[in-house]
Amino acid sequence: MKLAFFQGCNIPIRIEQYAVSAEAVLKKLGIELEIIEEFTCCGYPVRNVDEKAYIIPSVRNMAIAEKKGLDIMVICNCCFASLQKAKNVMANNPELAAEINEILAKDGLKFEGTTAIKHFLSVLHEDVGLESIKKQLVNMVSDLNLSVIHGCHILRPREVTLFDDSFVPKITDELLAITGAVSLDWRGKLECCGAALGGLNSELSEILLKEKVDGALAAGAQFITPVCSYCHLQFDTTQLNIREQQQNQKVLPVLLLPQLLGLCLGIDEKVLGLEQNNTIEPAHVENLKSMLGPPVEKKKKRKKRPQKAAA
Amino acid sequence: MKVLVGLSLLVFLVGISYRLYGWLTQTVLTTDRTASPGRLPSALKGLMGTVFSGELLTLVKTFFTDVLLQKRLLSKSALRWAAHSLIFFGFIALLLMHGLGTGVSEFFFSDYLSTIQPYLSLRNLFGLMVLVGLGIAIYRRLTDKPQRVKSYASDWLAIAIVGAIILSGMVLESSKISSYSAFTTMAEDYGDITEPDELMPLETYWAAEHGLISPNIAKPYDPALIEEGREIAGDACMECHAPAQSAFISYSLAKVVGPIVSGLGDEGMVNFLFYLHIIFCVGLLAWLPFSKMFHVIATPTSLLINGVMGFKEPAKDPANELNRRMIGLSACTHCGSCSELCSSLMFYESFQNDFILPSEKVQILKKVAAGQNVEDQTLANLQKGLYICTSCDRCSEVCPSGINLRELFISSRYQLLSQGIPETSMLSHFSFPLSLTRNFIDDHKNALKKLEKIFKDSFTRLKDLTSITVSDPVQVGTTSYQSCYSCQRCTNICPVVRLYDDPEVELDMLPHQIIFSLGIGNKEIAMGSQMIWSCSTCYLCQEHCPNKVELTDIFYNLKNAAIKQIEGGRA
Repeated sequence: MKLAFFQGCNIPIRIEQYAVSAEAVLKKLGIELEIIEEFTCCGYPVRNVDEKAYIIPSVRNMAIAEKKGLDIMVICNCCFASLQKAKNVMANNPELAAEINEILAKDGLKFEGTTAIKHFLSVLHEDVGLESIKKQLVNMVSDLNLSVIHGCHILRPREVTLFDDSFVPKITDELLAITGAVSLDWRGKLECCGAALGGLNSELSEILLKEKVDGALAAGAQFITPVCSYCHLQFDTTQLNIREQQQNQKVLPVLLLPQLLGLCLGIDEKVLGLEQNNTIEPAHVENLKSMLGPPVEKKKKRKKRPQKAAA
Repeated sequence: MKVLVGLSLLVFLVGISYRLYGWLTQTVLTTDRTASPGRLPSALKGLMGTVFSGELLTLVKTFFTDVLLQKRLLSKSALRWAAHSLIFFGFIALLLMHGLGTGVSEFFFSDYLSTIQPYLSLRNLFGLMVLVGLGIAIYRRLTDKPQRVKSYASDWLAIAIVGAIILSGMVLESSKISSYSAFTTMAEDYGDITEPDELMPLETYWAAEHGLISPNIAKPYDPALIEEGREIAGDACMECHAPAQSAFISYSLAKVVGPIVSGLGDEGMVNFLFYLHIIFCVGLLAWLPFSKMFHVIATPTSLLINGVMGFKEPAKDPANELNRRMIGLSACTHCGSCSELCSSLMFYESFQNDFILPSEKVQILKKVAAGQNVEDQTLANLQKGLYICTSCDRCSEVCPSGINLRELFISSRYQLLSQGIPETSMLSHFSFPLSLTRNFIDDHKNALKKLEKIFKDSFTRLKDLTSITVSDPVQVGTTSYQSCYSCQRCTNICPVVRLYDDPEVELDMLPHQIIFSLGIGNKEIAMGSQMIWSCSTCYLCQEHCPNKVELTDIFYNLKNAAIKQIEGGRA
């Protein structure tokens, strides 16, 4: 299976380890990704200013993937929601659809709607499947408590994102469960990280973030696992910016799902870029590695082979 | 002619000095006011620090891979790399072998003569390389150019002048091949042949086999005379003059050019074409420092700096950061690579603002740096263009000239924001990556304050209302607000509302009140409420609404409308 990997703007320059670890995990699971240079921003950043300007880029991106005959895989929730929203608009607003297709015609593109938009998590959960991931596990973790923050735009509005149950989502938890990690029940699990207000109402944005960090710490989380790139940046960068002013406060380190899954699949931690997470310290990595053990219901731990090729 | 060359060389040198001086003194929309006297020592210090360190190797490597072989361009487009390499190597080879006179060539090849092989053919070959390269460049500008990037007169002029030099040179050479007066002069001066009984066969031979057009002889040529001429030529000419066919392009061209030149008077025409060729050459020389052709100096400099420093960290010495920006501006060749891959490319379709494209931002910044007068409206457009940027840094990554566009744009953006009109795009998520870097925190806050004031002044607020009136339904992209039965589920679940002890004061209106205001036809107070700008867009309200009121979508619509009203009020 081959998918067009839509990385968005934040991931390639600010969270490269997310793309690299996701790619390494998927490669191990037999999914090939193609990076398409012509993809532009999904449009999300401009949504406060102009709704149509927000829709057009996503339609173009889908038309590019369509031309190549590929479905799109997204990691960032905001990119995901933008693409799904654009798809929804194109199906339900024929007038606007015609107008946008006219703009695309300048680049020799046309949107038909044949490309499916898949989130990285659903690729793992549906296209690969829990059972076949389990079969490939060489490690499992024990005593690892994580706070997942789903992020808003992957779940809501459910009519647009068409991802999981927006009130009781289970995809992420089920994926984490096969690694042996415990996904904690905590108050911020389905709530907002504050990123959407960053830079335009930063004070409020930071309050929302702090609420989540403190909530996850209080729930006993050793790591926070964000799904969306915006959530990631809030926890992995803004959190440190806030902590600069409050030196004695504990920092909640970020561990991305493909990083954890990658460790359990026997992928080298260097490839997974654990130390590229700003909030992770070498001690965290050591601690994580000490939690790794052979899969419980499986035969003995196979010897780790060097996984350089997986990068 | 010497006067011409001398004059243009003087203009060239003065121009170059002026541009180099500009590198170390000019600024472009920067808040940093490092005094210019400090910038030369900083530049020298930086240079010395690099040369006398482990970086020297990087410098040498960059020179070969990026400057000579242009790896950055190759990774962008093989066709454009081919075009540029053909022009670059063809022109440099012509300049060294032919343009700089016999001195340079003789230094390397002691037997050099412009009239013998392989030099005769090489000259044509190099010229052909440049022409093919230019052909590809023209083709690209006409058909395959980066979408939405404009070609300016200056872009065409650069292609035209280089093309004119090569073409005039080829026409000149072909006119000389056919010229009777050139033949007689050479026969006399080099062959020492003046007697008609020797001259006639020689002339016949050159006419028959080397493209000479002589007034004395006509076809059909006497084969005996040709043979006789061949022998004379063998003794008198061929030692220092390869067959004219060796100049394979000019020789073919002579078949067309020859009759015209001889018709118009070949001696005068050869002279005229000679001066034409010289004028194009010295013209390029004199024009170079003031045009985009200055990139032949600035781009290698920029590439070398980029090779050592990359673009992710600004220079340690702020003075050198200013220097680098100015070098970067003059290194831009307006090739459009950055705009082609710009993440914001499609926003151009909505905003119709050239300055969203990085290549176009650089063009206007060049003007600003040079102190040209730029209209306020243009600066306002530039400010918006600078803000509609996802900070993905792809432009800096792909720039074939190694310009640190990121630093250039960030610094110009905040300089404009500090002096210009409030920027409504600051209310977009383009602000998010800017807030992460924590540069320009105060500039950012101040610019936001200006914007907030405009919003406060532009809309009536709920607290300003003295009575409630009911008007026609409002347009907010959906009519779902009409299903609201005021259960306040939205307000109760809102993660922002719950943060405040007194949310009605902090937010002006609560989510259910906004929906209510739409219900009674008052969009104005909704647009003016702080609530819509404090909304975290988490969609919890919309998801939980029992009547499927699309609250978050409506809030987006209100934000769009509020910005549109502010922007409209300016026009």
